[in-house]
Amino acid sequence: MAEPETTLDPVLISVMANRLDGIVREMTNTLLRSARSAVISSARDFSCCLVTGNDELLAPAEGLPVHIFGCHIQTANMREYHKGDIQRGDAYLDNDPYGGNTHPADHTFMVPVFFEGEHMFTAVSKCHMADIGNSIPSSYFVRARDVYEEGALVFPGVRIQRDFKNNEDIMRMCRARIRVPDQWYGDYLAGLGSARIAERRLEAFCEKYGKDTVKAFMREWFDYSERRMIDNIRRLPKASLVNTGRSDPLEGILPDGLELTVKIDIDPDEGNIHVDLRDNPPCVDAGLNTSLGSATSAVVGAIFNALDKDLPRNEGAFRRLHFQYAEDSVVAAPTFPHSCSVSTTNVSERLVNITQSAFAQLGDGMGLSEGGAGLGAGMAVISGQDLRREPEPYVNRLMLSTNGGPASAVADGWVNYAIPVIAGLMYRDSVEVDELKHPIRVESLTLVTDSAGAGRRRGAPAQQIEYGPTHAPMMAVISCDGQHSQPRGVLGGLPGTSGETWLIEDETQPVRLPNVAQVTINMGQRVRGRDSAGGGYGDPLDRETERVIVDVLEGWETLEKAKDIYGVIFTGEIDDESLEVDEAATEARRKELREARAA
Amino acid sequence: MGYRISVDTGGTFTDMVVLSEDGEFHVGKALTTPDRISEGMFNALEVVAETFETTPKDMLAATDLLIYGTTRATNAIVTKQTARTAFLTTTGFRDILVFKEGGKHGPHDYSYDYPQPYIPRRRTFEINERIGASGEIVRPLDEAQAREVIETLKARKFEAIAVSLLWSIANNTHEAKLGELIEEIMPDVPYTLSHRIAPILREYRRASATAIDASLKPLMQAHLTGMQRDLRAAGFAGDLLVSTSVGGCQEVETLVERPINTLKSGPAMAPVAGRAYSALERMGGDVIVCDAGGTTFDVGLVRDNQLVYSRDSWLGPQWTGDIIGASTVDVRSVGAGGGSIAWVDPGGLLQVGPQSAGSAPGPACYGAGGTEPTVTDAALVLGYIDPEYFNGGRLTLDPSAAEKVIAALAKTLGKEVDETAHSILIIANELMIKAIGEITVNDGLNPRESVIVAGGGAAGFNIMPIAHELGCATVILPQTASALSACGMQYSSIVFEATRSRFTDTNGFDRAGVNAALDEIEADLMQFRDSLGTAKDATVTIEFFVEARYRAQVWELDTNLPKPRLKTDADVDELIETFHLTHERVYAVRDEGSPVECVNWKGRISIRPFDPPPSPEPSDAHSTPTPNASRSCFFGGSDRVDTPVFRGANMVIGDEVKGPAIIEEPTTTIVVYPDMSARLSAAGNYILDCR
Repeated sequence: MAEPETTLDPVLISVMANRLDGIVREMTNTLLRSARSAVISSARDFSCCLVTGNDELLAPAEGLPVHIFGCHIQTANMREYHKGDIQRGDAYLDNDPYGGNTHPADHTFMVPVFFEGEHMFTAVSKCHMADIGNSIPSSYFVRARDVYEEGALVFPGVRIQRDFKNNEDIMRMCRARIRVPDQWYGDYLAGLGSARIAERRLEAFCEKYGKDTVKAFMREWFDYSERRMIDNIRRLPKASLVNTGRSDPLEGILPDGLELTVKIDIDPDEGNIHVDLRDNPPCVDAGLNTSLGSATSAVVGAIFNALDKDLPRNEGAFRRLHFQYAEDSVVAAPTFPHSCSVSTTNVSERLVNITQSAFAQLGDGMGLSEGGAGLGAGMAVISGQDLRREPEPYVNRLMLSTNGGPASAVADGWVNYAIPVIAGLMYRDSVEVDELKHPIRVESLTLVTDSAGAGRRRGAPAQQIEYGPTHAPMMAVISCDGQHSQPRGVLGGLPGTSGETWLIEDETQPVRLPNVAQVTINMGQRVRGRDSAGGGYGDPLDRETERVIVDVLEGWETLEKAKDIYGVIFTGEIDDESLEVDEAATEARRKELREARAA
Repeated sequence: MGYRISVDTGGTFTDMVVLSEDGEFHVGKALTTPDRISEGMFNALEVVAETFETTPKDMLAATDLLIYGTTRATNAIVTKQTARTAFLTTTGFRDILVFKEGGKHGPHDYSYDYPQPYIPRRRTFEINERIGASGEIVRPLDEAQAREVIETLKARKFEAIAVSLLWSIANNTHEAKLGELIEEIMPDVPYTLSHRIAPILREYRRASATAIDASLKPLMQAHLTGMQRDLRAAGFAGDLLVSTSVGGCQEVETLVERPINTLKSGPAMAPVAGRAYSALERMGGDVIVCDAGGTTFDVGLVRDNQLVYSRDSWLGPQWTGDIIGASTVDVRSVGAGGGSIAWVDPGGLLQVGPQSAGSAPGPACYGAGGTEPTVTDAALVLGYIDPEYFNGGRLTLDPSAAEKVIAALAKTLGKEVDETAHSILIIANELMIKAIGEITVNDGLNPRESVIVAGGGAAGFNIMPIAHELGCATVILPQTASALSACGMQYSSIVFEATRSRFTDTNGFDRAGVNAALDEIEADLMQFRDSLGTAKDATVTIEFFVEARYRAQVWELDTNLPKPRLKTDADVDELIETFHLTHERVYAVRDEGSPVECVNWKGRISIRPFDPPPSPEPSDAHSTPTPNASRSCFFGGSDRVDTPVFRGANMVIGDEVKGPAIIEEPTTTIVVYPDMSARLSAAGNYILDCR
């Protein structure tokens, strides 16, 4: 049957878009507040979105950029696998990285929403689970040779509810394999509950506006979004950008890491951006391979970093982004049975950095520097036995310390950045909450002075944490990709410092651990982790002295770095706050540094 | 009985409500005088005194009770006039105030700097000590080092000190000792200890509350005692109370010790008013309270006759501002009001806000240099506002200026002027609908089963279509709507909260420990009551709450304790069931299998030192008033409609107006939309039927 062609009043389009946004925000809030594991409720490693009945991404929440792309492939697979047998009351679980999902840790709950018998929407919540039954106690398994060694339970678009009731077989399967199954089940309830709330709201939405208007709205909303995208791309210069970067080595597997390349063609005349991801290494025998969903999301997110802040992010906007992928590649083209266990982080983090800094090639004012990368010790997955009451196993991801964010042309880096694919959206764990929940004690947690990548705008400094177990040995799985290649600056900005991890028993002899480590911390031992710092944007000698003095007063940068790198000289003391910029000496110093540079 | 006066000093206006002996409210408004608050207060009093044909001095002398609400603390923080404050914390954790709790607005927005901490790092000092999660002393307090630090603070002439150590909620000995050392070494310097001001889990929240409180002490002590002095000097001999963030009031002596509780006290009083008005009109205990000003739209809730509280209240934006940490009445604010600017985005859609023309230059029709089309301009073009009678005639508007800016926008959109103005209002309504949607959803309140109480000068323009869209049948709009918070104070109680952090879960519920905590809380509440002056003997109600969650959840829900103590296992079961119900109401799921973790315990005492204003008998009268004038207005559709205009002053109880119509009150205008109606109740409220 032909779709009735209606032209809607633009005001109605705004109103309806606002209502849908309200629904996704409600989904998000529900999931955030009712989830069990810290990885969801603190780290916000989840996202909610609405997809049309025809599998077009309609409305995402302000969720992790690395989840933005791919849900529509998952809903399409759901419809394909269950053709002719999808009905109201169903719910589906998918975590297949070969089927549009990001990585197996992201359990995606899909609820098809019907109105007058027609499948109008699919409500989707994607949650990173604290455990997914991997062969090691972490949902991130960098060294997994293949999916079999990785060991995740994989659900390719599996029906988990019919008539609003669980398929208890699947619940039992999960309980039989997933560590701390009650925690998983709590997150399952939260994830599914959020999609069910959306279902109720969407049914009311269709009731209110009627099917034809809703359909016309979707069409026009996509067209509107596409127009916004075209308008934005037309304001960019025509350019071909190529940028490369390198991931960290992986002991015994990838001694030099991976060289990654992103090519971007901006075509303002046609209003298109073409991304070529083909020039990348083939799949590797490790969990580093990125799924189509993760890699595309990473790049799309980074492109949005370079565009207007309020662009709608949906199918309509995506019409203007075109991707080319390899046949077999660590970037967006995994071949079975390669593992995509850490698909959303390590390589994806680098892809974000490579892409957003590529835009700086367009000139001052464009793009970003590289942000601090790597899930360091402060973001490790910890596990063990909690002996404080009845012995009980625990496993959870920490979000205690984070990398420093990138600088832009106008702003310094964001302190609570986490990693490029989280982009500052997470909440930090409270030290007290973590110490209450798990048998862990944090010894210290501070900013690292002089770590930030200097620039006219400076990256955010690194953080350093030290912690250990209080009652029994604890395992920490650290999947860090940020200890070798520094987060680079752009347009004269300097790199931020890299991360480091140590195991400490004797304070005088800290033992350096590799960037990817699975370490048992015994009683009396501690792990010390330093995250990486964001790169700078622009020449540090152009940094306004009023910004430098605040950095120095606040102990983010030292007097020495101010003098050597920023060329700023002070009089007075920090302690009594009598510090002042010596304008004349600063001018001379900056001149001297510029001349030395020229020579 | 004499007069009872309540005063709400806002950033721009000082609102005053005087309750006279005949039980009537009289509203006075004057510009706020930030340098000497009492001046603005006396100016507002002069306005009211005129209606009584008396002098402010005589009125003050005849006043029994004055309730004072102030934004002084908020303004001091915004303008950075708080005390030079040192922050003392556990060694290794100096960055608690820098790190905050994370969260960022806009995943792709890198246009703004990371916020500065409430107290700079250079004024942060580490104390060698550490307490563990169960209260054990991991590292004893290094008293010599602590003395050294405090001597440094003395040498550097700090004006206030905030002390927040890790786990002071589990063991307060180290903080208490630091308090002693401060009193010994710096006897005249005010300080705040975290376990006293905000004994709650989560180091950032506690530290932030402590830092804010300490930094306000010198200033607010001077301000409140100064206000007391000015009033006494002016002949006021009655009781003085100050309104607080929990929607109650306090004696000056209590608040100078906890000035943080004056923050957001103005908005906190709007739900108090909303609750009272709904009760007065017998409209039930679920109330959505909207306060629409020139630049912001505030929404608060009353559920089951109870105010709704939050610990997630921020100075400045959520996440990037500074959390208050102390419990406050939950009021959400969105930047939408008469000054919000309408514009067309690059995709051709009309948008309203978030930019605002504010009050200066203000909307184009103010004629003060505004060149952007605003919501007020749109309302003027639509005929909703009488340009000669805006704000009771105190400001004459320029309709041609409004017409000009809206016409320019209409041209861009390819629409008629009226249609464009109408669209602006619809989009502006959406922002408010969303704000109401979020807070009600968050607390599991169904707008369809609630009543809206609307206040603020701008509410009347669009509250009816907003209520209609939300499925809410009735709106109460008081004649005194423009001073909703000051009205709320007239219905308030003295409210005080005490908290203890005592972690336990229902698998091995520590009944003795919890009851001991509740005993301590109750002792605090009683001690507070005994410290009161004349209010000591007034009626008292005490409620207990626990902030609880399912095992491993991170965020707690406030759950009422069904009984004041948990004496038996059945009492614990009852508490668990109450929690399940709360969780189900808010999140639509319950997890019977999961233990429930109880984190913070809270007691709240409410003391009624004065009776609420009398409540008139409802009236069944129905009458139809005669319009004073008519205007051509546009309500959508194709044509303008000749619309009757009524002056509120000429309406009598029972008068019913069918839309389309306009009702003009001196400080607010009510637009009664087609197919809707409004009736003036015995209590002086407009009951708007929005079905």
